[in-house]
Amino acid sequence: MRHNYRNWPILLVLGIFSTPLLIMLVFQVVDSFTLKQPGSLIPSGFTLEHFRFLWEELDTGRAGIWRVTLNTFIFATTTATVVTAIALTAGYALSRLNFPARGFFLAGLIVLHAFPTVTLIIAIFLILQILGLYDTLIGVIIVKTALELPFGIWIMKGFYDTVPWEIEMAGVQDGASRLRVWWQLVLPQVQPGLMAILIFSFLSGWSEFILPLVLAPGSDAQVLATYMQALILDDTKADFDLFKAVGLFYALPVVVIYVIFQNKLMNIYGGGSKG
Amino acid sequence: MKRMNWLGLGFLAPALLVIALFFLAPVIMTGFFAFTNMSTATGITGGDYMLNKSALRALGDAGLPDATLEKLEDAGYAVDEKGLAALAAQIDQETADEFARLHGGESFATRRDVERALKDLRQNRIRKTRDRKAAAELFKRSVLNERFGTEAEFRAALTAGGIAPRDHDQITAQAYTGWVWTTENVELLFTLPSTWRYAANTAIYVAFTLSFNVGFGLFLAISTFYLPAAQAATFRAIWFLPRILPPVLYVLMWKWFTWDTGFLSTVTGWFGMSPKNWMLDSPTHAWTTIVLINGFVGASMGMILFASAIRAIPASMLHASEVDGANRWQQVRYIILPQLRWPILFTTAYQTLSLLTSFEYILLATDGGPGRATEVWALAAYHTALNNYGGNLQYGLGAAFALVLVIIGILASLFYLRLFNFRQLVGKPLIEG
Amino acid sequence: MQLDLIGFTKRFDGTPVVSGMDLSVASGEMIALLGPSGCGKSTTLFAICGIHRIDEGRLMFGERDVSGLPSQRRNVGVVFQNYALYPHMSVFDNIAFPLKVQKADKDQIRRRVGEMAELVHIETLLDRRPAQLSGGQQQRVALARALVRNPDVLLLDEPLANLDAKLRLEMRSEIRRIQQETGLTAILVTHDQVEAMSMCDRIALMNNGRIVQIDGPTRMYRDPMDKFVASFLGNPPISFVTPEDLPCFGAPKACAEIGLRPEHVGPQFGTGLTGEVRFVETQGREDLFDIALPSGRMIRSVQPAGSGLRPGQTVDWGYDAAELLCFDRQEVRL
Repeated sequence: MRHNYRNWPILLVLGIFSTPLLIMLVFQVVDSFTLKQPGSLIPSGFTLEHFRFLWEELDTGRAGIWRVTLNTFIFATTTATVVTAIALTAGYALSRLNFPARGFFLAGLIVLHAFPTVTLIIAIFLILQILGLYDTLIGVIIVKTALELPFGIWIMKGFYDTVPWEIEMAGVQDGASRLRVWWQLVLPQVQPGLMAILIFSFLSGWSEFILPLVLAPGSDAQVLATYMQALILDDTKADFDLFKAVGLFYALPVVVIYVIFQNKLMNIYGGGSKG
Repeated sequence: MKRMNWLGLGFLAPALLVIALFFLAPVIMTGFFAFTNMSTATGITGGDYMLNKSALRALGDAGLPDATLEKLEDAGYAVDEKGLAALAAQIDQETADEFARLHGGESFATRRDVERALKDLRQNRIRKTRDRKAAAELFKRSVLNERFGTEAEFRAALTAGGIAPRDHDQITAQAYTGWVWTTENVELLFTLPSTWRYAANTAIYVAFTLSFNVGFGLFLAISTFYLPAAQAATFRAIWFLPRILPPVLYVLMWKWFTWDTGFLSTVTGWFGMSPKNWMLDSPTHAWTTIVLINGFVGASMGMILFASAIRAIPASMLHASEVDGANRWQQVRYIILPQLRWPILFTTAYQTLSLLTSFEYILLATDGGPGRATEVWALAAYHTALNNYGGNLQYGLGAAFALVLVIIGILASLFYLRLFNFRQLVGKPLIEG
Repeated sequence: MQLDLIGFTKRFDGTPVVSGMDLSVASGEMIALLGPSGCGKSTTLFAICGIHRIDEGRLMFGERDVSGLPSQRRNVGVVFQNYALYPHMSVFDNIAFPLKVQKADKDQIRRRVGEMAELVHIETLLDRRPAQLSGGQQQRVALARALVRNPDVLLLDEPLANLDAKLRLEMRSEIRRIQQETGLTAILVTHDQVEAMSMCDRIALMNNGRIVQIDGPTRMYRDPMDKFVASFLGNPPISFVTPEDLPCFGAPKACAEIGLRPEHVGPQFGTGLTGEVRFVETQGREDLFDIALPSGRMIRSVQPAGSGLRPGQTVDWGYDAAELLCFDRQEVRL
């Protein structure tokens, strides 16, 4: 805080700019639980009726919400786990080990990190068709993992870089193998990084929309993002209260994680995610 | 040491494998696909050989003699299993059996010959002329509309149909239903007027959104910097939400805000205005919404980057400027902004590329509408190849659209590599083998 | 310009860091705020220049009450410990900044910056960036920037802390020269007693958020008000013994401890006082001895080099009775 300047003009301007966003956020929650007269914004009563999608089929021909939620969960957790596992070894290699063409790999990593992956969606679509993985959850998982990896490796390498190398030097001097030094001495030091990538990739997978939309449009592999979008597009008359309830259900894990890990998340996103 | 090399490569191997398969391969494949005419019609794995009327017309236009065309269409009549089965279905089994006994395996040059043969059947003569004509037609053999799995089979059929061997190549090429290499896509990109429209849309989109992102990100970072910690944290948390919320939900909130049953229409309704879709009723509104939707998300990235850069400015420097008499605007203008040059440059460079290629929020919000007003290049690629209303997905043309972005992406990434001091990032590992 | 700080109190999160402090600096005087770290001296300086709010009390520049004014309107010049030069501006622009934000006209700025550069001897460096300057040069630029507006008061926050020993000596006299040439009222915050004593007219010694004693350097050294002042000033530091260690000295009844400055203690025959030399530190011009008394307490003595004493040796020692400092149980000087 700088007391040489006044706060209220800033609060005023920030408040004005934030109003639309706040309105959206507040009504997102309020509308999910309340009834309203048409043409009014003021709720007239509490209801759980917008959450009916949880216990009854909305209409035929659509996968049930729990199946879709399970799909989403499998998609997000598998992606997160695999990305983290691979980034753990690859990040260490790039940070600490010397091997042929290391500079080239690092340069490649940076290029991939900055590279806009959505441009590849058409080629990936065709490749999955050729491989026979089109319209399967496993196909989308593999693709998401691959696209998420450069970012994960980059972050992980950063964490490895901060571990003082004397720790490893001491381990190697004591006669432990490099593999053991990595597993027993270095890994515990980079646990924050491991957590960061797990959380980040989970959120990224949970929110992913384009990949499932293009690569697994069938009802068997549907995830919450595509489920919700299909619901919005299907309805001739938009039932926003229902949509918002679905959205709230969908965003619940995200919000919980956000509340718990807020500062950590801001750091990761600040570290250069896709803008 | 040799062992160390292997450990390094071993540690890297899983990453290399996955990235090569689903990251590098797609980059290269985009280049390949862009030079094919792949579409729903051609399939993607390869094709059959089949001539249809329009192929015939094309051959005629290409200068194939009428006689040859006629032969292709009408290769005579043959009494074979297939024809007999059809006959059995149309007349009855006995007729077919008798016809097989008398003429099985024979060929006839014209339909009249077949009709005569049918008329001459002893037990099961077909009396009505119309029926005979129809029955004879069943034995007509033509290369036309027949599907051949391989090129050899197709060529054999041509030979059997008495087509001169010198025409085979041309006809085979025309008959192939799979995809072929072509540069048509690139030509199309340059000649289609809509291409330029998409390019212009992209320029508008990137320019406005980027300005909003950087400008508003700066505003958020600087303004929260001047607030007490608790208030600053609150505003940062609010403004970070658009980034963290799933895009589908975030865009839904905007739809509720702008659509005719949503917030704006409700509020304007109180003042007697009729409800309307504020997002899609005009291109200007559509663009405004798109820029805001993307901007609210993009600004949070700027906010975080700039805020940490501001925190890195030594407090004494800010104190000094206050003691030196700078008011807040002067402090921002002369002390803070100049020291944010690099973060601003970085954010600009980074977001230019990602905006250029992103279409998720536009797809969710306007889907390019109204009309094609907000169709940007990346969205056009998506629509062409993966989702259009015509039903024939043009993978090849879509890939050509995408290829342009891929090339820009590679060039830009390489440029960043230079800009942001690559050598520093690639320092040798401290422990070496 | 006379500066008066009356009843100044500053709290951080409710905890008082400085409480009820009074300080009066005469026009043209340079005073040092001296004390151990955490004693509140920097807080006081930041309150005077307006970076910290004054929670209680008043700050007067002459007849002007500036307590509630923001930094911008107090008209003070500050030299920060790390100089806080603006890295993206040339030396000229750095010095010109306070005038530029006042929207002074260009000619005036150029003339004024020229004068300042001449005053601090950096005429040839005006086009450079701060990063291209040595520590001493940066210091001069910071001084010039602080002085360019003709401030009412010059505040220096540990200005020499970031310089090497040689430059520190040089800048010590330079700052004093510049302060005297400009005739400014100045406050120097430092934890280094040598700096305080060599540069300032008076020293305000602070401890635990209060001023313990304000006096001229010599007076404060020779006539400390309590044990804290006596032990803070002096290098090598003063030693404390009890009256029992000096049976021949007729200490007053209330005396609980006696302070002996190293330069007033030394080997001397026939005093009846003995001790064992424990440690000898050779400093070239002088030698430093630690002598253990029979009671176990240690005293320290400074003697011209070449005494030939060795560790383990038992010596007779004596003191200059006129220079002994007596303290009571409350550590107040008798």
